[in-house]
Amino acid sequence: MFGFILRRIFATIPVMGFVALFVFSLLYLAPGDPAAVIAGDQATPEDVARIRAGLGLDRPFLVRFFEWFFRVLQGDLGTSIFTGLPVSQMIAQRIEPTVSLMSVTLVLAISVAVPLGVIAAWKCDTWVDRVVMSLAVLGFSVPVFVVGYLLAYAFALQLDWLPVQGYTPIKNGILPWFENLILPAITLGFVYIALIARITRASMLEVLQQDYIRTARAKGVSQKSILFLHALKNAAIPIVTVIGIGMALLIGGAVVTESVFAIPGLGRLTVDAILRRDYPIIQGVVLMFSFVYVVINLIVDLIYTMLDPRIRY
Amino acid sequence: MKDNLARSLTEQDVVVARELPDILEPKKRRSGLIGFAFRHPAIAIGGGVLLVMFLIALFAPLLGTVDPSAIAPSKRTRAPSADFWFGTDMLGRDIYSRVMYGARVSLTVGFGVALCASAIGLVIGLVSGMVRWTDGIIMRVIDGMMSIPPILLAIALMALTRGSMGNVILAITIAEAPRVARLVRGVVLSLREQPYVDAAVAAGTRMPKLIFKHILPNMLAPITVQATYICASAMITESILSFIGAGIPPSTPSWGNIMAEGRSLWQVKPFIIFFPATFLSVTVLAVNLLGDGLRDALDPRMAKRI
Repeated sequence: MFGFILRRIFATIPVMGFVALFVFSLLYLAPGDPAAVIAGDQATPEDVARIRAGLGLDRPFLVRFFEWFFRVLQGDLGTSIFTGLPVSQMIAQRIEPTVSLMSVTLVLAISVAVPLGVIAAWKCDTWVDRVVMSLAVLGFSVPVFVVGYLLAYAFALQLDWLPVQGYTPIKNGILPWFENLILPAITLGFVYIALIARITRASMLEVLQQDYIRTARAKGVSQKSILFLHALKNAAIPIVTVIGIGMALLIGGAVVTESVFAIPGLGRLTVDAILRRDYPIIQGVVLMFSFVYVVINLIVDLIYTMLDPRIRY
Repeated sequence: MKDNLARSLTEQDVVVARELPDILEPKKRRSGLIGFAFRHPAIAIGGGVLLVMFLIALFAPLLGTVDPSAIAPSKRTRAPSADFWFGTDMLGRDIYSRVMYGARVSLTVGFGVALCASAIGLVIGLVSGMVRWTDGIIMRVIDGMMSIPPILLAIALMALTRGSMGNVILAITIAEAPRVARLVRGVVLSLREQPYVDAAVAAGTRMPKLIFKHILPNMLAPITVQATYICASAMITESILSFIGAGIPPSTPSWGNIMAEGRSLWQVKPFIIFFPATFLSVTVLAVNLLGDGLRDALDPRMAKRI
């Protein structure tokens, strides 16, 4: 087991290396010459060349990549072109709203989607099943910001139940924090719920045909414990997998959801950085999100062995 | 007791089964387009809606539209009326015309990406699956690309270039192609184990013929289904890119950038977002239905499961 964990962690190193190379190329290929920008309009070509040499921009690609890479390993993601602040500091300032939004969404999505999928599988081929599956197809089809505007229009503008936009830090009280996150979390979770519910149903349908389910039914186990104890546990691996893979949807969706609900998180930071062409920030955010995504899927792989002791690597 | 039973079963009680005809009459099936639509409602509905959107995109200039870029500052943000069916935006442009023309962008991006990503993914997946020594390298690169969330990858690529239709298609293709490549590789690996492929190899079939005659035809169904899902996801990604200002510039109307421009006014003028949002959602829904229908029709074993 310990050996497996180590091997699995080592396997992510080439992957992260490739991501780092890709993200670095992004800045390398970015239009505009930082040396020319720093030198200003009055500079002669010699000035620009001197500044470029001073910044180390005239050295080969790989040398610059490894230098940058070792700085990243020490937590230095460079400085923002627009604000002049370190990128890591700007990310740290914006991380709380995004982490809050994603964790509320994650909890909400799993607690809604898994029961929906289980019920759809149980009531397979009835109207309940059809309604859940239709909602799932709808969830894949409506863009995340459209869901956001619809919800905000209905529940915030028309009914006035919840705040329209904005974010309250968690230290100002759990309730206002949560109130501000309900609509964004439903918005962001919509497609995620669709995805998880669909996989849960498919996986449950397969498990419900197994002999041990018939045995459990024959010995008089109640429907509820058949579904949630016997079947769900054995159907869990595809569900956990899709929860991990679906994190990509959450990360992409957070960028949009934060724009719709004016939440000052990493998504807003990314959008602002794109509008200002602030490449170090884009680079930093992409690198960080990819790292998080890889780590989450690593954890998912480790959960497999706990869910199914038969899995040996 | 026995006698009673025997007596009660007189000859009259024994019913002789009717002789079966040599050939059972075939179940009545409606033929033609209507029959097909009844058997595959998802394909019929999805395909039908998609066809309508294609016609809209094709005949946009003939559908009572005006120049979608014509600015009329005196007629800003009018609500929907007989003159402006979907209202006007903040520059006084007719939203109905913009939405009709916008169909061109969404469909081009959706189908362009589906085509390009499938083609590129197919080639990479085939190489990875058939030429074993490349497999390790290609799969590591694909793992790396797939560990960047696709929307973020597309955003990062768009940040490098100017917003144009070609660049949007390219960026989304790069984000989607690894998924196809991995699917194709998986199918190739399982097909390689099939006895008929072994037989073909044993009979001395060369690589090109092996690929085109034995591998590719079996690849068509999963690729087609995957392509429809990519088409749907590309349309959504395009609208997201436009929405956050990293997509196609507003001079070419797309459903995404019409909504992007309505963003600042959404609380007072929700109709600016409503109409393009409806068209986009209905189109993506149609493509998804088509994909589900194709999957069920092409692989009946999967039909009941997902």
